[in-house]
Amino acid sequence: MSDLTQTDTPPRSFVDRALDPKALATLALIGLLLLLPLGAGGYLVYSLSLCFANAIGVLSVSVLVRYGGEVSIGHSFFVALGAYAVAILEKQAGVGLMVSLPVAALAGLVGGIVFAYPSRRLSGIYLAVSTMALALALPEILIHSEKFTGGFEGLYVALDPLPGLPKASQRYYLAFGLLVLICLALVRLRRSPQGLALLMARAHPRAAEAFGITRGWARISVFALSAMLASISGAVVAVASSAVSPNSFTLWSAIFLLVGSVVSLNGLTLVPALVGGAFLTLVPNYLAGAGDWVPVIYGAVLLGVTLAVNSASDIRRILSRGGRS
Amino acid sequence: MTAIETRAVAQRLRAENLRLSFGAIQVLKDVSVDLEPGRVTGLIGPNGAGKTSLFNCLTGLYRPQFGGIVFGGVPLQDLPPHRRAALGISRSFQHMALCPDLTVIENVMVGLTLERRSGWANAFLPLPSGTREDAATRRKALAALESLGIAAVAETLPAELPPGTLRLVEIARAMAGNPKALLLDEPAAGLNAVETRDLMRALQRLIRPDLVVVVVEHDMDLIMQLCDRIYVLNFGQIIAHGTPAEVRADPDVVRIYLGGDDD
Repeated sequence: MSDLTQTDTPPRSFVDRALDPKALATLALIGLLLLLPLGAGGYLVYSLSLCFANAIGVLSVSVLVRYGGEVSIGHSFFVALGAYAVAILEKQAGVGLMVSLPVAALAGLVGGIVFAYPSRRLSGIYLAVSTMALALALPEILIHSEKFTGGFEGLYVALDPLPGLPKASQRYYLAFGLLVLICLALVRLRRSPQGLALLMARAHPRAAEAFGITRGWARISVFALSAMLASISGAVVAVASSAVSPNSFTLWSAIFLLVGSVVSLNGLTLVPALVGGAFLTLVPNYLAGAGDWVPVIYGAVLLGVTLAVNSASDIRRILSRGGRS
Repeated sequence: MTAIETRAVAQRLRAENLRLSFGAIQVLKDVSVDLEPGRVTGLIGPNGAGKTSLFNCLTGLYRPQFGGIVFGGVPLQDLPPHRRAALGISRSFQHMALCPDLTVIENVMVGLTLERRSGWANAFLPLPSGTREDAATRRKALAALESLGIAAVAETLPAELPPGTLRLVEIARAMAGNPKALLLDEPAAGLNAVETRDLMRALQRLIRPDLVVVVVEHDMDLIMQLCDRIYVLNFGQIIAHGTPAEVRADPDVVRIYLGGDDD
């Protein structure tokens, strides 16, 4: 049904897992992406670094959808929290990503908890609209606290995260490495007690409560986790694009994160994350020639994916009903 | 509040003088029940008699306006469901409450959540303590499935299984954490005769001298064969209680079940 349903859960040997065709394809893709900067042009490497950073952002929304059953149209807020944490720490303290990334992640985690606690009883459209408030307020906050954020102009991010390597490839490998690590961590989460508890709380809150899992815990945990991932994505976006400014973190960027998550079918593994990241980054870049048609093409793709996925699950349901009765 | 005996009465689940109303409608009128360990107690009654309301008061979904609930000397009436779970009170649900994304064994592992100690670091990193705990939890969940005879479906998704098996999975989940009280909400609802018979056999194997078992059920055959004691509710009051033979001979019960217009 989805990649949350792992029927092959009993621990299998490493050899068995490595011979699985899906795992082999993913490994091949990882190998290809690792070798790519050696041959590709600078623009592609730059675009892919941003794509990896956005893929983490897409994962952050997908975590909220999959484990919380909720939708956010304000995740640009948490992305900006991470991006500005990196830029401000570089400007004020002169420290690079190795120091500012943990700070950014922590900022997202705390931001997520601070937002989730008062909104823990909201759900569905009401929660979505309250997240929208975050996204709407953010650019104004950034512009008005000019002293720290650089106002309209924003801030530059120039320090090398991994000194010694060429600038373009170190951004690329950093973003890719973090994306792969986050995907691995999410695979573990799915099997962990916390992952099981969150999925149960999402499917049957009352049943979950009968086994000691409260709704408040589930909501705050999933939001904190999602916001932390969004902030990590923001930190990587800041480094990959060398600058942060308020117009990269508008309501539209939040909506595109959600769209990326929908297009990736809310998948929590590497390939869906890359599809979502590409939809946010590469598609608009390569469609730039289409000019005014870009939003139309975007809309058409989005409608196509949504309708195809929904009709696919309908067809599956009809088939399985027919097979059983 | 009534004078509830709070001195420790080992593992006994008692409700005294429960009153519950929704607006002007009184659904429970001074209901008292005494649920003993080592015995299966049935709650029966026509639709709307207050069985489910009483059940929900015991599990913590409803708060009675008056009266008390005591389990092993601990007053429960003000505790939310997750705190009652921590005291060893476990339940199954009338409508299947399994997570469709989780396999059968993972659903049962959720029943062991309160026992688990590994923190968030274990959720993301392959730390040895978390891996050990995972293996132990999986073993316990498998043992619970084995005790109900359904270990073969451990790695299956709920959508692929018939309702009778799913009901047993729910009971395995409720039993996995070794509860002191097991409350079953209409376990035979939606099951056919064969599935109901299998369910009864499985339930009979679960009875332990230290376990309180409460069954709310419509299926009279199941109740009469499974239960040691039965409480009969009608219009929010207990109208009869005793052994199956006593209850079957009670003229009020006969009137409700044979002469009445319900069930």
